[in-house]
Amino acid sequence: MFAYYLELALRSLRRSPGLTVLMVLAIGFGVAASMTTWSVFRAVSGDPIPWKSSKLFVPQIDMWGPNGRGEDGEPPNAMDYIDAVALMRDHRAKLQSAMYQISPSIVPADASKHPINVSGHAVYSEFFPMVDVPFLYGNGWSASDDANRAAVAVISSKLNQKLFGGADSVGKTVNVEGKDYRVVGVMNDWNPQPRFFDVVNSGGFSTGIEDVFLPFTRAIAVDMNNDGNTNCTAVPSESGFAGLQKSSCAWVAFMAELDDAAAVTAYRQYLDGYAREQQQSGRFAWAPNNRLRDVPAWLDSQHAVPSDTKVSLLVALGLLLACLVNTAGLLLAKFLRRSGEIGVRRALGAPRAAIYAQFLIEAAMIGLTGGVLGLLLTGVGVASVSWVLPRDIASLARVDLPLLMLTLLVSVVATTLAGLYPTFRASRVQPAWQLKSN
Amino acid sequence: MLKMSHLSKVYRTEVVETYALRDFNIDVKEGEFVAVTGPSGSGKTTFLTIAGLLETFSGGEYHLDGIEVSNLNDNARSKIRNEKIGFIFQAFNLIPDLNVFDNIEVPLRYRGMKSAERKQRIMDSLERVGLASRAKHYPAELSGGQQQRVAIARALAGSPRLLLADEPTGNLDTQMARGVLELLEEIHRGGATIVMVTHDPELAARAQRNVHIIDGQVVDLSEEPRFHAHATATTLGHS
Amino acid sequence: MTLHPILAALRKHKAGVVLISLQIALTLAIVCNAVFIIGQRIERVNRPTGLDESDLLLVSQQWVGAPSGDDPASVEKLDAMQREDLAALRHLPDVASVAPINSIPLLNSSWTGSLSLKPNDQLGKGNPRTAYYFTDDQVFKTLGLRLVAGRMFTAADVEHQAFRDQHDRPVVIITQALADKLYPDQNAVGKVVYADGSGSPSTVVGVVARLQIPASGGWGGDFAWSSTLVPTRLDGYFARYAIRAKPGRRAAVMKAVTPTLYAVNPMRVLDDDSVKSFADIRARAYRADVGMAILMGVVCLILLCVTAAGIVGLTSFWVGQRHRQIGVRRALGARKIDILHYFQIENLLIAGIGVVAGVLLAVGLNLWLMTHYEMNRLPSLYVITGVLAMLAIGQAAVFVPARRASNVPPVVATRAA
Repeated sequence: MFAYYLELALRSLRRSPGLTVLMVLAIGFGVAASMTTWSVFRAVSGDPIPWKSSKLFVPQIDMWGPNGRGEDGEPPNAMDYIDAVALMRDHRAKLQSAMYQISPSIVPADASKHPINVSGHAVYSEFFPMVDVPFLYGNGWSASDDANRAAVAVISSKLNQKLFGGADSVGKTVNVEGKDYRVVGVMNDWNPQPRFFDVVNSGGFSTGIEDVFLPFTRAIAVDMNNDGNTNCTAVPSESGFAGLQKSSCAWVAFMAELDDAAAVTAYRQYLDGYAREQQQSGRFAWAPNNRLRDVPAWLDSQHAVPSDTKVSLLVALGLLLACLVNTAGLLLAKFLRRSGEIGVRRALGAPRAAIYAQFLIEAAMIGLTGGVLGLLLTGVGVASVSWVLPRDIASLARVDLPLLMLTLLVSVVATTLAGLYPTFRASRVQPAWQLKSN
Repeated sequence: MLKMSHLSKVYRTEVVETYALRDFNIDVKEGEFVAVTGPSGSGKTTFLTIAGLLETFSGGEYHLDGIEVSNLNDNARSKIRNEKIGFIFQAFNLIPDLNVFDNIEVPLRYRGMKSAERKQRIMDSLERVGLASRAKHYPAELSGGQQQRVAIARALAGSPRLLLADEPTGNLDTQMARGVLELLEEIHRGGATIVMVTHDPELAARAQRNVHIIDGQVVDLSEEPRFHAHATATTLGHS
Repeated sequence: MTLHPILAALRKHKAGVVLISLQIALTLAIVCNAVFIIGQRIERVNRPTGLDESDLLLVSQQWVGAPSGDDPASVEKLDAMQREDLAALRHLPDVASVAPINSIPLLNSSWTGSLSLKPNDQLGKGNPRTAYYFTDDQVFKTLGLRLVAGRMFTAADVEHQAFRDQHDRPVVIITQALADKLYPDQNAVGKVVYADGSGSPSTVVGVVARLQIPASGGWGGDFAWSSTLVPTRLDGYFARYAIRAKPGRRAAVMKAVTPTLYAVNPMRVLDDDSVKSFADIRARAYRADVGMAILMGVVCLILLCVTAAGIVGLTSFWVGQRHRQIGVRRALGARKIDILHYFQIENLLIAGIGVVAGVLLAVGLNLWLMTHYEMNRLPSLYVITGVLAMLAIGQAAVFVPARRASNVPPVVATRAA
């Protein structure tokens, strides 16, 4: 029976080609606009570490007090050095790391080459197992390297390619800011978007990749300045990087792994206890005002998804809706014009279900054809966003199999839905004694 | 085969209640060829639409092939139309988008018949109406008489027990009308029950039995037609 | 012509009328808001920075293994390295002037604080916020700033300090916008301000007409024109130089910068991103805005085309359906123009229903966007223009099928359908 309805649908679509083209174009463009903006939205709103994001937490401590809070009462979105180091010392989570963004220069061994600038982070050894950094060669460094401020480094496969031709460089040295570091690990391609472990400094998305990780303790010891945001509510009383470390300026990111609800509760209590201690010691003149959010909640609170992306998706969905209303109107006119045929079919014994099947399949065919057009236009659209949108976001949007399947699915389902009311009306046509004329 | 007792059909609007049929009784036996006559607006078309399960009725009983149909749902009614009833319309009612073959195929498709059997039946019935060579033609390419034969072929293809015809020759010239009538008689001889609405006395005379409808009631032709107070309101009727 | 027959006909096509007016309403709502977004973005992109942007470029470079800058000796060393660079760049034949500067408008890398009229005031606390440009006396010529009061910096004003140091700032120059906030209706020149809760005064020696802060986006929007110029070279492991090329010589300067600086000192990082024309900086800063405007433009275009085509399609259908009826009207004496007007008025009614609903939807969508995203109130001019445009599009779209209807000959009435 399906083949019969399909044949009837094709026959009907061929009979009014202008109208068919009109509906297919509307659906195609509507779906393509939605899918193009969806591809961008999907890229920026994805969970960068889905298997673990609910176990990774970002603590916030209010070291600024009521005057430094935002209108929503939020404490700063980064830590000062004092608190970050204190949390590392107390070591209450299963894994944790304070970190700050660095942008050091690397001097190639080949003297004829100019130094290059790389970006990366100064982190603790637990960072690597905590965020599941994949390694091509070697591994992260050890806790004793943290304690000893060891001159060790983890580098990206890209930097490894540039410096060592892609060979296993573990044990070799790399010159960072004029000082030698021993390579302990080479990461496999690792470029999580958004940069969930340091949203504040990366702005969420980054075209670059993390080329180098150095021990936090080592970077502090060699006065490696932080690259990125430094927010202060008061001018540091001492100057220089050393002065920054003694100030209440926020510049250190922090992440902790807490595996279950009990651990989360315990950590929350620990943070409150810590803040209360600071209050008692006179460093804070206010009650604890901490936050502890897992990665998805943290990304949300930091508005990692740009509002432009959301508005674009919304507007494109509105466009799709308008296209569907358009299609519904045209289908209604088209179907009702055939009420004579419907009446005869009903008289000849077609049950309502048969009328539904016939007309919904006709609508679905338009959806399918529109979807195929939509596929092509989505390809064009996704290719086009790379030259209209900022590169950090546009580079993430891509056409892949799930997107293609979704395009077809949305197109067929949406058009079938649009055909629902016209089909309902068609099915209400009474079995007719006569083909009504005009 | 077809038995209506005390059947009524009322059309209601906000202001008037119009009886299209009232206390309507008819009994058509299996294998009969009945002609239904009556003036315009008498309710004969309403009778036929109800008999063909195209419309529901307001009161009374209707047994079709021994089944009381008033409580059947839409699907069951569709099934009966499809399997037991053949329709021949005055306006032929061929679907213009479909060719002759595809038009005849419509009821067979809804019966869920296999392709080979469908083809066999379509060709057989086209053979019977003498249009086997026109299977690929579209209705617009055929004369009125040919179109009506296609419509008859469509009705025959499903081997219905009951054939309902509404002024089958109304749109045809005499020559063509005769041919169509001969076809009906042949079908009747094959064992089908035929109920034909017509206002053509010559046509009616060819049937075994005549039923006359006036003002929504079957009347004995030997009696004088009665005058009904509500007659002025019986403005409905299609033919 | 009376409306009655049109209304009666529309009642018969209720669902069709509802769908087409819903489509017009959606189109109006989306197009109004999208065009408003486009308008806002264009306005933002076209804001003048206060700079003379042509022939301007920026060099960002980083020394390798430079002193940390936390002790006086290394500060002096870093400053010497910077002065060496400046001298070499100023010596280039195509260079008009060079100024060291920590950032530049639209670079989105800024040092911000607040200015107070009282000493030792708390940072923030309702004092006007500002972004600092640490530079030297060459900044006016290099950036092309226009002084409206007081004087420019002189070589004698120029000091230098470590990158993170909090040095006293004896003299500053502020923008007119900042001066208006600090000293409304007064001449700011010669007045005293205190920077970032400092206890030592800074004297305002001049006021420039306009100078945007480095932030281009939503952040900093409320003090976009409140810049403060400080005649101090910042000595750190990296330095930026703003360069004004001689007219038309920007490309030549951009090519010459890298070899010149490597010749001074090869131990530094200079890559593709290090030397950027101001046009590039501007394009990068506004890429998101321009992209958004293009995206909204494409959506509007598609939407308007689909809606216009939908009206053409549906009206054509109705014309076809009423073919015989039109013939009857013609036979009864209707002129061609009457038939044309019939369909035009019908469309006006449908579009009228659509735009009324559309205005409500547009305002609703705008309110929703305002509460959830950065969006301003939709000005009524956009709505009125949108309404007129939708009605015009409806009339344009209906014209072709309506004219076809008006050409239906009266003889159609006598034919069977």
